[in-house]
Amino acid sequence: MSDSANLDKLRPIDFCDVLDRIGGDTSFLKELLNIYFQEYAEKKRLLEQAITREDFTQVCELGHSLKGASANLSLVRLQKVAFALETAGRERQLQLAQEAARSLDTEVQTLKAFLEGNPPGKFV
Amino acid sequence: MKILIAEDDLISSRILQKNIENWGYETVLARSGEGAWQALQDEDLRLAILDWMMPGMDGIEVCRKIRRRKKYKYTYIILLSAKDRKQDIIAGLSSGADDYMTKPVNFLELRARLQTGKRIIDLEDKLLVIQNQLKDIASRDSLTKIWNRSEISKFLNEELERGQREKKPTGVVLLDVDHFKKINDFYGHSIGDQALLQVVSRLKRKIRKSDKIGRYGGDEIIIILPNCGLTEIKRIGDRLRLAVGKRGLKTELDSVQVTVSAGCATSELPGTASTDKLIRVADGALLKAKGQGRNCVVVAGQDRQMAREQINV
Repeated sequence: MSDSANLDKLRPIDFCDVLDRIGGDTSFLKELLNIYFQEYAEKKRLLEQAITREDFTQVCELGHSLKGASANLSLVRLQKVAFALETAGRERQLQLAQEAARSLDTEVQTLKAFLEGNPPGKFV
Repeated sequence: MKILIAEDDLISSRILQKNIENWGYETVLARSGEGAWQALQDEDLRLAILDWMMPGMDGIEVCRKIRRRKKYKYTYIILLSAKDRKQDIIAGLSSGADDYMTKPVNFLELRARLQTGKRIIDLEDKLLVIQNQLKDIASRDSLTKIWNRSEISKFLNEELERGQREKKPTGVVLLDVDHFKKINDFYGHSIGDQALLQVVSRLKRKIRKSDKIGRYGGDEIIIILPNCGLTEIKRIGDRLRLAVGKRGLKTELDSVQVTVSAGCATSELPGTASTDKLIRVADGALLKAKGQGRNCVVVAGQDRQMAREQINV
């Protein structure tokens, strides 16, 4: 089974896991998700610049940073894509970095759509 | 207790902050290694959570810098990292971290680990208090609680050096309780001790905050007077002598009439640059005061010949 097929099986966010980490506070989760989206917008801009300049160190750092932020919010799919970006940066693979950057954007849109239908407080 | 959270990732930092504050700690935030290092100049910040990967100086370098510093109290460090290989954990702990946690953080575990850190900081604080108490006990005379001979000699040494740097004289008054042996023999040592305590108490009331008083021998009291020259020391010596002898000392048995003899010297005299020599000159003046019938003050500088004789002993 391919990686993308594996990814499709996962939910964009593991609510149980993240709420367990932050003491079940759904309004705090909303605050954190807002920070995530704001940070992502800035990192996306930096990532585009880094890919254009073929600055693989920066690509790797951004991938690492997004991987950590995603892991903290149990954004399992985003975490995997960010890891792919970090690896592409470390291995200086331009094409893989470009693919990972596109996948990140897709996954962020998927997450936003998912959260519109499933806001954090819905299941609590 | 305050805890430093040094983490460049805003979400991670915010989650840590919220949890840690919920557990009753205060938090200080930094988003880079440099920011963490700056925050850690605050001596009250004794517990730190450092992310390994930070822009600029990383958590490992901050750990090393903390461990290199000498005068600060202990800082307990928990290093956070996504790196979970054995060699990473070993490298993290080898840099000076006390503990290592992998991300994402399990908060129940972090809480327990912070309690461990707090326990160690509390233990160090208790040890420091005891160390200071022991140091104080070792520096003071057990009866009178004024500085003991070795401590007062250290003060005099420091004061002489400072006086030389600032070109200011240092004065020494050596006092001896007249016929103290007779007091002990007649009333007993307990009354002798009570009398000595009252002598010290009266002397302490007559000296400045910057002056230092110590017990130099059995019934010999020494007073170090910073920035005190030959013109002032006689007046000070007389004031001290009168403070002791102007009225009887109350003891549990009787009122005991006690007088003191005083020998004074200052670093203005030639050949008195060292602690030993200055004390020797003051001691010579004290002997002379005793020879003159006691209950009087002799200043070494007023008889240069006597000073020279004492230096050459």
